[in-house]
Amino acid sequence: MSLGDMLFGAFALPFMGRALLVLVVLSVVAGIVGVLVNLRGLEFISDGLTHAVFPGLAIGLAVGGTAGLVPGAAIAALIGAVLLTLFVRAGVTSDAAVAVVLTATFSVGVLVVSRSDDYSGELEALLFGRVLTIAPEDVVPLLVVSLIAAVAVGATLKQQVFRAFDPHGSRAAGDRGLALDLVLNASIALVVVAGASTVGTLLVLALLIVPGASARLATVRLWWLFPVAAAVGAVSAWLGLAVGFGVSVGAGIDLPAGSTVVAVFVVVYALMLGARLVRDRMARRAPARPETTRLADVPGER
Amino acid sequence: MTDSGPVLVLQDAAFRHPGGAGVTGLRLSVDPGQAVAVIGPNGAGKSTLLRGILGLVPLVEGSMRVGGAEHAADGMIGFLPQSSDLDPDFPISLEQVVMQGRYRRLGFLRWPGRRDRELVRGALETVGLVERARTRFGELSGGQRQRGMLARALASEPALLLLDEPFNGLDQVNRDALIDTIRTLKARGVAIIVSTHDLELARRVCDSVLLVNGSQIGCGPVDDVLTLENIQECFEGVEVEIDEHTVVVPGHEGH
Repeated sequence: MSLGDMLFGAFALPFMGRALLVLVVLSVVAGIVGVLVNLRGLEFISDGLTHAVFPGLAIGLAVGGTAGLVPGAAIAALIGAVLLTLFVRAGVTSDAAVAVVLTATFSVGVLVVSRSDDYSGELEALLFGRVLTIAPEDVVPLLVVSLIAAVAVGATLKQQVFRAFDPHGSRAAGDRGLALDLVLNASIALVVVAGASTVGTLLVLALLIVPGASARLATVRLWWLFPVAAAVGAVSAWLGLAVGFGVSVGAGIDLPAGSTVVAVFVVVYALMLGARLVRDRMARRAPARPETTRLADVPGER
Repeated sequence: MTDSGPVLVLQDAAFRHPGGAGVTGLRLSVDPGQAVAVIGPNGAGKSTLLRGILGLVPLVEGSMRVGGAEHAADGMIGFLPQSSDLDPDFPISLEQVVMQGRYRRLGFLRWPGRRDRELVRGALETVGLVERARTRFGELSGGQRQRGMLARALASEPALLLLDEPFNGLDQVNRDALIDTIRTLKARGVAIIVSTHDLELARRVCDSVLLVNGSQIGCGPVDDVLTLENIQECFEGVEVEIDEHTVVVPGHEGH
């Protein structure tokens, strides 16, 4: 298999094309939402939401088969988003509280799945996703869920950034913190819903966290963070699917697609981290810029 | 709001946090271009009063009119909080912080336009930081950050500006810059309420004083209110800075 076939030709296959479309759109949205997760330090709460979705997926699957996955996950995710938002605002949240929600909901999900005939197969699909077996009729619901999250965050983006930077100032300026938190947590939940059906509940966190963290390494310009994170997500998703296909078909080594995608996300992050370390090291070796020297000499500047 | 009417009127007002702490008996009228110093010791209710005017602490007694209405119109009040606990690593430039002052007027869907950028530049010029506009906020000195936050409050084009302990921790250069800014704003017709411990600064820049310690002790022209008797009642046994000297005000006889 040629490199061109792996990177481009593979996606002429219908199941690969669907996987690419859903995963790239999801990764772009997750990257944008993930920047806010990074700026607000909501990584652990996002982890709680990914697990809160699990019983919804399990119940949806038990009630409606694969068609029940998205509705079940959406209901569970939105309940989880509201509960976690209220926990945070009531001051009862802590790592312990999130951990309790996380493990409790996860165990409920496992209990529901354990009642099915194909326990291990279904559990694996829910945990690690089924990105290469997305049915044609599931594409539109997954895209719609992703785009709702994008619109919700996009419409409140200025205010979300203001709140992330200075929550007291944002409140004093008249912003409603509860409404903004609900919008952000619901958007995270919707990304988790779409991600849980593609890369699985365990791996979706990477789509949310890694692009935002990568963007922070690449730039300190606020409004560049969002396109950089979206681009990291889109390119990583494309390369992940291509590598998984190339290795599985070309080399005969069967790689799970979702895990391969996430591995590529992490490799891209590692490369950007390495580039950042090299850049910082070179900057330390370079002589101080005249501007820095001049400003340090201004009286009264502390 | 009428152009000639007071920007803020409090009549026997009391603001109280849901937890119970508050400040009572407030009678105050602030005209455009007037600066009022709110003076009192720590815990006297100065910040509670400012947050009450903002609508963040409930009004539990009396009445408040802001620009002639019960609630302030969007962007009418600018607020400079006490030195904010902000993440120095947050990837945001000074001009982006100042632009946040425009968000209330822009709403959710509109993005800043030319007029907003001009107002941000004007606010940065007013506080003397236009050359640092593109600097990351966390790289500024403490005094520059404080002036940057003041520029954010100015960018909202407020009719009433609330400054909560703005001189705390500032060196002389930044104190003088802040005082100059307050004078400029007064000349433009902005009403200002500034909470401070610093009686000398109140004399330099404010027209009137509101003395509080849980409740209002006095309100009026600076020299009428900052009498020894009022100061003793307000600051009993507390260190006070008067004319650049720090003294401990003795307790009232028999108080």
